[in-house]
Amino acid sequence: MDRRDFLGKIIKIFFLTLFSVLSAISLLFLYPSKIRKRKVQFFEVLKEEDLPRRGVKKVVFRYPRGEQILRMKAFIVNHNGRLFAISPVCTHLGCVVSWHRKKEQFLCPCHGGRYDIEGRVIEGPPPRPLTKLPLKIENSKAYIGLKI
Amino acid sequence: MDSFFNWIDSRFGIKEPHRRFLHRRLPERITYLYCLGGVAFTLFLCLLFTGMLLSLYYVPSEQEAFQSTLRLTKEVRLGWLIRSLHKWAAHLFIVFIILHALRVIVHRAYRPPRELNWITGTLTLVVAFASGFTGYLLPWDQRAYWATEVGTSMVATVPLIGNHLLYLIRGGPDVSGVTLVRFYSLHVLWLPLIMGFLLWAHFHMVKHQGISGGL
Repeated sequence: MDRRDFLGKIIKIFFLTLFSVLSAISLLFLYPSKIRKRKVQFFEVLKEEDLPRRGVKKVVFRYPRGEQILRMKAFIVNHNGRLFAISPVCTHLGCVVSWHRKKEQFLCPCHGGRYDIEGRVIEGPPPRPLTKLPLKIENSKAYIGLKI
Repeated sequence: MDSFFNWIDSRFGIKEPHRRFLHRRLPERITYLYCLGGVAFTLFLCLLFTGMLLSLYYVPSEQEAFQSTLRLTKEVRLGWLIRSLHKWAAHLFIVFIILHALRVIVHRAYRPPRELNWITGTLTLVVAFASGFTGYLLPWDQRAYWATEVGTSMVATVPLIGNHLLYLIRGGPDVSGVTLVRFYSLHVLWLPLIMGFLLWAHFHMVKHQGISGGL
């Protein structure tokens, strides 16, 4: 290796190092320094005596997101003596499903996804069952939990 | 790695002209003083890079400029470093342009056929001052506000049209949110573009005319 090649190598290494350091600094700079952990928060939806004794009941409640107050729909299901809450968001592309009382199925209006009363997929494109939401009963009121 | 760049270059063809430029013969008498302009250019690249990073967090509005500067310095990771680098590179940029100009004066390198290159260099210094002045307002704190208030008020002393010039620069009778947006646009868009063009012309002429032999 002569002097010219050696110096050429040094310059190459210098610029590679510079490039790597600058990239690292940029990435650190761009990455958010504070990331808020999403926590489950409970929102009141019903009084205990209004909970369904059998079948499905649709509830609408409000929750804050930043400055806004958003409306959210959910289903409370009492099936085979078990009480649980189901999110109405179709797992296919996020449309809102509705409960068909006669067929006893959740129907998605967008692409024909169908779920049974437990939220399991019967037919159509949805890849997963409907999401179960945490439900708790406290002081004779029912609360639904959302991760926000 | 090399073969990858060669693949690109056989289609793009940028290596050969640069080799001709970078591997050309230099006059015997060249010293480290001839690096001053290069140092200034390196500082310009540093300003460009840190400025692009800063612009990702800075909000140029009357309500948020100060808060975003504060966030940038205190909360963003390495934000203090990027901001300080931008500030110090800006100071040194002007220092090195002046040192470079002094070297050119001492070596009398402004003489024909290099007059135009001297002119583009001087304009670069003017644009650098303008960038410094417009950038100084952007943190939107008391010092920035009053510095700009005083700085722009000097324009009003121009006879006859002074007040109109003042309104033109401030975008109103006082330094306000309008002035901030104006200065922001100049600082991040207009002046860097003008500077880029001037530097391109400057380097083109250095390449075209060769380096002055000195004294």
